[in-house]
Amino acid sequence: MLDKPASALRIRERLIESERLMDETGCYDGITELKLRNQDPLKFETLHTKLRAYCVSAREMARRISASPGVREVGEMVVAIYTPEGDAIALSNGIMVHVHTMSRFIKWMIRNGYEENPQIRDGDVFANNDAFIGTVQVPDVMDVMPIFHSGRLVGWAGAVCHELEAGGITPGGDVALAQERFTEGLFVCAEKVGENDELRRDYVIRCERNLRMPIYWVLDEKAKVASCIDMRESVKALIDEIGLDYWMQVSKEFIEEGRRAQLARTRQLTVPGIYRGHTFYGHVTAGKPGYQPLGDPDWLYNIPIEMEITADGKIVMDFEGTQPWGYHSMNCTPAGMDGGMFVTLTQHMNFEGLVNDGAWMATELKLPTGTWTNPDNEMVATATSWALLLPAYGVFQRLLSRSFIARGFVEEAFVGQVNSPMIEMGGQSQYGTPFGMAHFECAAAGSGALAIKDGLDTAYVGWNPESDMGNIEIWEQNMPMLYIGRSIVPNSGGAGKYRGGCSFLSTWLVSKTDHLRLVTSEHSSRVFDNGGLCGGYPAPTCQKHRAVRDSNIFDLAENRAPLAHHTGTNPYRSELEVRLEGEHVTLEGPYITAPHKTGDVFTHSYNGGGGYGDVLERDPVKTAWDVENGFLTWEAAEGIFGIVLDEDEEGFPVANLEATKRHRAGMRAKRLARAKPVSEWMAKERERVTAADFAPEVKKMYASAIRLSPRFTKDFSTFWDVDAKSTFGVE
Amino acid sequence: MTSYSKEVIADLVAGTLPWPQTRRVMSAYKDDDRFFKYVSVLQDRVGWSDPILLPVGDHLFICQSGEERVTKCECGHSFGDYRRNWKLKAAIIVRDNEELLREIYPNSDLPDPEWMEIREFICPKCGTLHEVEAAAPGYPIVHDFEPDLEGFYRDWLGKPLEPSSKGG
Repeated sequence: MLDKPASALRIRERLIESERLMDETGCYDGITELKLRNQDPLKFETLHTKLRAYCVSAREMARRISASPGVREVGEMVVAIYTPEGDAIALSNGIMVHVHTMSRFIKWMIRNGYEENPQIRDGDVFANNDAFIGTVQVPDVMDVMPIFHSGRLVGWAGAVCHELEAGGITPGGDVALAQERFTEGLFVCAEKVGENDELRRDYVIRCERNLRMPIYWVLDEKAKVASCIDMRESVKALIDEIGLDYWMQVSKEFIEEGRRAQLARTRQLTVPGIYRGHTFYGHVTAGKPGYQPLGDPDWLYNIPIEMEITADGKIVMDFEGTQPWGYHSMNCTPAGMDGGMFVTLTQHMNFEGLVNDGAWMATELKLPTGTWTNPDNEMVATATSWALLLPAYGVFQRLLSRSFIARGFVEEAFVGQVNSPMIEMGGQSQYGTPFGMAHFECAAAGSGALAIKDGLDTAYVGWNPESDMGNIEIWEQNMPMLYIGRSIVPNSGGAGKYRGGCSFLSTWLVSKTDHLRLVTSEHSSRVFDNGGLCGGYPAPTCQKHRAVRDSNIFDLAENRAPLAHHTGTNPYRSELEVRLEGEHVTLEGPYITAPHKTGDVFTHSYNGGGGYGDVLERDPVKTAWDVENGFLTWEAAEGIFGIVLDEDEEGFPVANLEATKRHRAGMRAKRLARAKPVSEWMAKERERVTAADFAPEVKKMYASAIRLSPRFTKDFSTFWDVDAKSTFGVE
Repeated sequence: MTSYSKEVIADLVAGTLPWPQTRRVMSAYKDDDRFFKYVSVLQDRVGWSDPILLPVGDHLFICQSGEERVTKCECGHSFGDYRRNWKLKAAIIVRDNEELLREIYPNSDLPDPEWMEIREFICPKCGTLHEVEAAAPGYPIVHDFEPDLEGFYRDWLGKPLEPSSKGG
């Protein structure tokens, strides 16, 4: 039954008051004492566990309503319960990045007078996918519903699904070709899309008429509304049981407890100080069809991060020195940056206790205005913001990991996440109907190594700790392509004492269509967008795309001749070139090109993670197993790791320990002979810096960073003993 | 309170603790006495007696060396005052062409050396590879970590360091 509010909610005043109390006391909503927790800790913990159970159960139920393989197969969904002011109390598993972005969305509505118009009433459904209001990118569509009890707003239930189609200039959700907001697709800007527990028909019609594959979005909407109603009713029943006053107090204590726990955990697991790291991202689009000449086509992004862990355990992350926003889809809003921080914290530090917005409150992000992390123009596109967000938070993971190593918690040290390139498509389906879809098998990249073991192979992405590539058969039902290969890519993890997890590569045969647009995004060109740690190497993450148009694959199949199932390990002549005839294509940067048709072959590779430790310390026995199983090649074992392998009587590789020892001694000697003092290298390099003898994109990167950041300018000038501004012609 | 024997910590650090046991350590409440056991394990491992104050890498430690606090390689080589960037005193190999990059990346697409180089920071005495940077040409070398050593011992561990006349 609907619960009508007795009077105006005045929630905006309550939000302002809550923030004032936090400023004054340093504690969430002025909760300086955890009274209910102290009164009955068991009841306190039990109640939070119940809330979490409501969330997990609501999400699982909702996944069965969705038609999207993204939600059903790989779990691209999260739900959470919020306070009336919009702070997360409890959440489900799934794409946890959005727990805090939804918080921003709720607060945005409160601040913008939604109480008066369009009004917040029981049974209302509000939706949003505008990143400047609160989400990461256009396909991340969130729905929230208020929870009323006894005529009073007592909380919110919220749910997010990553949509596989957003109706943008290119098909799919991560709209690669978008260069401004106006080409990103269907926007729902904090809009009331439902009343009385039902979605409005006119909203559904708008979705149906503006999306290539509305069934995904519309059924996901129904799934989200169902999950919100489920959580709402559970919370109301709980309030009936524990009383309204108790609920209002305990929900805030949960958050304050989460904040305190985060600070305590930082003091327990890390070491105070300043940590620094960086990564890069190359964006190459020159000459590609469809790009408007709004800005430079090729861009090198530097992503430096300075992290301070303060004496009281606060984590402060500063992105000063990074690049400006651009006319591409990789910009990120502060909401997205918050989300990245939240999902990383939940994986690395909040593995016990209450997980909620309290953890986020114990951190601070410094996002320089005008950079891709905080654009000073709300018309910019953010549809592929993960392209820069994932590498950035990979750096954060490495910085945190160094602190874990310093403190002795080596089992928590993790070289971090990598970008996992997205492939999206649209056109005519195998059923002869229009379609559009993001292929979400990318939700299973290789992870960075740990400080005590190799990374996970094809089993991790930063945005969803519950990573899953989905079943081939399900994907094949949804697109006009058939798998002819899904293979581990040898040597795709960064080398190290512990190697990064390997990636996989899919090889598809385009089938039963004359018009298939394939588009890729979130993969770096010309530079690696990840790193190693403590001597480990970055993973090779600047792969190009390879395809064959008008291939002879059907003839080969008819003649029972061997097909190409992967690209192979020869970087100069792929298996496609060896096995197939046709027009061979190798393309750098986003794969934006003319449509494919039946008989074409396309490959798409995901990324492995960075390595940990010195390669010459890698376990030879484990390496022999890796070679046997295709994670490393024989050549890499010997050439990179210095491990000599023999064959046993059945032809399997076995480590020759004595020969390995000798070979490694030689490699170490060669390493020392080849190395030169850093001071000598710097003296020579300084000449190049003074002359600004760099590629145009590198020069542009320096000039942009110098324009935006006094600190970068000072650090660069001091390090090389030059005047950075005059070196790069910055006024 | 959770606590493990020094042997368990030694195996954990060496990566030789059986996985089911490692998994339990990862899932359990953290052991508050970890730091000094960890340092003790590392102290047993190194072949020198300068007290380790803080590990900063896999084979790299800040230690008390007489009156100074220095960054030291496991082999005993000192990179000098721990407050300065140890990398500036290291040896370096820079992979900035296809041939050198191909040695590490035998079958993948390579970075454009005009856009990115791989820098390897090596102990000039024993040849241990301590850190790798993937950076644009001309990018300043990163000072990875400046710990608040005094504050850590005083405020977090409750065991203030003896004053040091040199090196912080």
